[in-house]
Amino acid sequence: MRAPEKNARPTEELDEDADVVATKAWDWAVLRRLMRYARPHLRMFGSSFAVLIALFGVQLCGPWILHNAIDGPVTRALEASEAVDDGSVDVQPFLRELGFWAAGYLGLILVGALLRYKEVSQLARTGQFVIHDLRSHLFAHIERLELAFFDENPTGSLVTRVAGDIENLNELFTSGLVVLLFDLVKVLVVLGLLFWVSPELALLVALLTPVLIGVSIVFRGGARRAHRRVRAQLARLNGYLQEVLSGMRVVQIFRREERVSSRFGERLRAYLKSNFRTIFLFALFYPIISWVTLVIQASILWRGGGALYAGTLTFGDFILFWFWLQLFVAPIRELGERYNVLQSAFASAERIFDILDKQPAIAPPARPTPLPDPFRGHVRFENVTFRYGDGEPVVRNVDFEIPPKKTVALVGATGAGKSTLVSLLLRYYDPSEGRVTIDGVDLRETTLASYRRGLGVVLQEDFLFTGSVRDNLVLGRDWVSDGSLVQALKASAAGEFVERLEHGLETEVAERGATLSTGERELVAIARALAGNPRLVILDEATSSVDSATEARIEAATHRLLQERSALVVAHRLSTVRRADRILVMHRGELRESGTHEELLNHGGIYARLHAMQFRDLDGKDDPTG
Amino acid sequence: MACIPVVTLCDIRITLWFGDALTRLQAREGPEFLEQLVGLILLIAAVQGIFRFLQRWWIVGVSRRFEIELKQELFDKLCGLPLDFHDKSRSGDIVSRLTADVENVRMLLGPGSMYVLSALVFVPGSLFVLWRISPVVTLAMALPLLGVALAMGFLTPRLHSRSTAVQESLAEISHRALESFSGARVVKGYGLERHESRRFEDASRQNREAQIHFSKARGLMHAAIHLAYDLAFLPVLFVGGWAMIDRSIAVGDLFKFIDLGFKVFWPVIALGWIGGLYPRALASAERIQALLSETSHIQDPPDPVPLDAEGIEGELSLSNVSYRYPGAPGPAVEGVHARVPAKSVLGIVGPTGSGKTTLLNLLGRLCDPNGEVRLDGIPPRQLSLATLRGALAYVPQDSFLFSDTYRANIEFGAEEELTDERLAEFIQAAEMTAETAQFRGGLDQLIGERGVTLSGGQRQRSCIARALARDPKVLILDDALSAVDTETEAQLLQNLRRAGEGRTVVIAAHRLGTVKDADQIIALKNGRVDAQGTHEELLERSDWYRETWDRQRMQKELEDL
Repeated sequence: MRAPEKNARPTEELDEDADVVATKAWDWAVLRRLMRYARPHLRMFGSSFAVLIALFGVQLCGPWILHNAIDGPVTRALEASEAVDDGSVDVQPFLRELGFWAAGYLGLILVGALLRYKEVSQLARTGQFVIHDLRSHLFAHIERLELAFFDENPTGSLVTRVAGDIENLNELFTSGLVVLLFDLVKVLVVLGLLFWVSPELALLVALLTPVLIGVSIVFRGGARRAHRRVRAQLARLNGYLQEVLSGMRVVQIFRREERVSSRFGERLRAYLKSNFRTIFLFALFYPIISWVTLVIQASILWRGGGALYAGTLTFGDFILFWFWLQLFVAPIRELGERYNVLQSAFASAERIFDILDKQPAIAPPARPTPLPDPFRGHVRFENVTFRYGDGEPVVRNVDFEIPPKKTVALVGATGAGKSTLVSLLLRYYDPSEGRVTIDGVDLRETTLASYRRGLGVVLQEDFLFTGSVRDNLVLGRDWVSDGSLVQALKASAAGEFVERLEHGLETEVAERGATLSTGERELVAIARALAGNPRLVILDEATSSVDSATEARIEAATHRLLQERSALVVAHRLSTVRRADRILVMHRGELRESGTHEELLNHGGIYARLHAMQFRDLDGKDDPTG
Repeated sequence: MACIPVVTLCDIRITLWFGDALTRLQAREGPEFLEQLVGLILLIAAVQGIFRFLQRWWIVGVSRRFEIELKQELFDKLCGLPLDFHDKSRSGDIVSRLTADVENVRMLLGPGSMYVLSALVFVPGSLFVLWRISPVVTLAMALPLLGVALAMGFLTPRLHSRSTAVQESLAEISHRALESFSGARVVKGYGLERHESRRFEDASRQNREAQIHFSKARGLMHAAIHLAYDLAFLPVLFVGGWAMIDRSIAVGDLFKFIDLGFKVFWPVIALGWIGGLYPRALASAERIQALLSETSHIQDPPDPVPLDAEGIEGELSLSNVSYRYPGAPGPAVEGVHARVPAKSVLGIVGPTGSGKTTLLNLLGRLCDPNGEVRLDGIPPRQLSLATLRGALAYVPQDSFLFSDTYRANIEFGAEEELTDERLAEFIQAAEMTAETAQFRGGLDQLIGERGVTLSGGQRQRSCIARALARDPKVLILDDALSAVDTETEAQLLQNLRRAGEGRTVVIAAHRLGTVKDADQIIALKNGRVDAQGTHEELLERSDWYRETWDRQRMQKELEDL
């Protein structure tokens, strides 16, 4: 169980941690960029501030009314009755005045309630508008990035960018930035008001406050680290749970239930231990903060009591001071919390901007030559070489053409470069050397939209989206009519099983097409390609084995798909290879043989050898695999 | 528990001292007494702080201990439940039993009970103290506080339903992104980037609207709580002021109303919060209970044949075996007959979804079929699970390995710790020696999520090493050779043949070449036996077998170029 240190850090911990480490708490550059997204909604931000200011006013006014009532009618009534001695003073005018203040207070709190409602809803609304813009922008940007980007970045982490990180930013806009800035204003204004009520007591508060801030900051630092540990342990725990659930078959058949249970127990105890640290910190923090607050209050009573006795401070002043003190302390208590929100939001923002800074490698040229609709579909690979980054070339000097309406089949071993040629023709990547042209136009010179409009693509294990079967056939292409859909279903033989589905075309396809069998998914993919009536078909045949009847249907559908269209096919079916107008044999990234079935047989090369083996095999005699 | 009344009563006492001090000052008593009083207050507050610490430490600590015990119990339960339970429940649901549901219950038991208990002491305590000063003001003040609790009770359901809507729309956003990113090849192939962006924007907009909708409910709650709270001060202001004018209460008493009013606010809010938490926690507790009361129908027989795995020869016989997954429209396997003599090799082939894996599951009694699977002629009703599974080893289709050290993964198969020499033997037999020699951490190298990533073929071979470490009588391989290249496969088959000597081997395969030397092969079609026999016999008897053989032969030759 001795793990080398370098590998000891769990990746999930890294991910969890990433939002709390190695980021500045305050980053003007990031903030300025974020503000760009806020700019279109400045009016909303304006009204948010207005609500906050008005609410702050209401909060200040409440105690002030209480103060005026006590120092006004109440005190004067008491003084008057003391002056008269026998206590027979007419209290009516004082009560009326008291009633006036009470009515004012009632009005104030009704306005306050309205503002409280606005405080929450207006701030959320403002944040949500900004967040929606940013999220849509980010997603659209990711969509524009080249395929290599998706290969390099795990899908999970990309999803985290558009979901989790954006949510963090939401906090920044709704409860972080605006409120934090406003809290600072509040603290300063209230401190000023405290000085106005009683400079002596306010000085006392100002002297003791740093202790409060200090405790708050020290605690937050510790709490953040402790929380991080808890989160890391929890991630480990849940990771192990997930793992055991997915390997339950193995666990049970090896009868290792007890062993995994005790491993789970170890992780549980580690999790508990890290939890106790946070419990300890929080159990310590709250009493200390309360005690420090009480120290401030007690010293106010002590100094204030003297002033009350000496008559330099009224009871109303004292109560006003007491109330406003609460307004002063609350934001300071929250300071640490807000700071954490801010820090994690900045970290998220940085990760989001990292992606937004990536320029699409496959970008349209400044002056593109759009292809006509429909294009003819004459493809040429001209001396094409491709390498990933600085690596060895995966295809080298490949030169061939697909005349309009002709099928070219690629055969060769896994890793011979067939998929790379397909990727180049799909313009997932651009060639490192040489060029790929369609109707004489370099793919890099034309627009992706005009080119892909004429494409029909069937990939291995083709991807089905959630939605109805119809959605999957149409795929948002507005030029796919109902008529062409019906034709495509018929030609692909997918119509038969689609009719048998409960809701026909409107049947919902479950996640990743789980409701359909492997063979049916392949037929849907073929129908999907047919529906767009493409000029150029790119087909990567599946290798999975299906039953004979389905196999025959797929073969027929494939045949119909390739008819009268230009096509590049990675072939796994002998029938597809034989029907091709030209067969290219790829070997270790190079194009080794090229010709029709007959030509290649006569040529006596690799293909001929292959074919000979097939025949020998069909005789069922010799066994070359030994 | 005893801490709670101490803490809350100290809180009330401190306010009373403050108030009394004001009253004495109002009565023109000299400020000299203040120093002593302030000292006393700080001392009592310090003691209170200690109790407050203990209270939190103890209650939250207990709730955390409860959490881990419950999680352990649930985990053990899950390990004991049969495979059809795991197949029918989505793993996400099970995980949320152990995470969200346990947390809901813990919140109620831990922090929840702490807040409730302190509120139950604090609220009546404060009201009692205030009642003795002025029943009228107390009553007038208590009514709005009741309003707080009512407002929360009334608004909480709405809050929950809207928050659920937000969660759902967030899930939709993740889902849209996940799907679009994993389908990037299709999206780009058809130029669907704009289309996908639009769909995502719709989902995002929906989330925005749900969030705004939710924030309105939150705003309403927020406003209602504060309004009720502020209203509580209205009688303090008016009636209290009146009473002061009347000289029936002193300024210190008014202070007591104000300060206790402040302090009573949070416990009341907490009560409302618990009120909202309670139904959720209850629902969670029910779901947990339901999971805990699941029973496994795969149990040890009452009187098993006294035989341990060592005594097993390894003969398998299947008679009329059928299995239907719970809730599935048709059987996954139907009417399979087979006799596999000890130390012979059985191959199982067939198209995707024809029932190969299901049949293998039945051998280890991961599910109980109709019909019978006998080991050495002993019916399952007389064979203990320890004996049955002790005699088996299994290499899963998904090449499942733990994110653990390489050594631990291989030792997973063995009953006890293995010497380095024994480990090396198994690794050698599975053709992994060259790779493990390159591990920086040697055999203690972490693999998987937190360590080095193994390729599909390496994982598969490691699973084979793990199975061999078990020294099984019956070795079950589920398409275990599909992810290795042909050269390795040939090598591996040879090693397996050697390792399989003296064992019964059942091997399900996608590549027919893997099983062609088997003593007998079953070709499945839709769960039924399409044909049965040796490779040569199947080439004649099954169209599917012959066509697939031709096709794969060509692929293989292409690979071998």
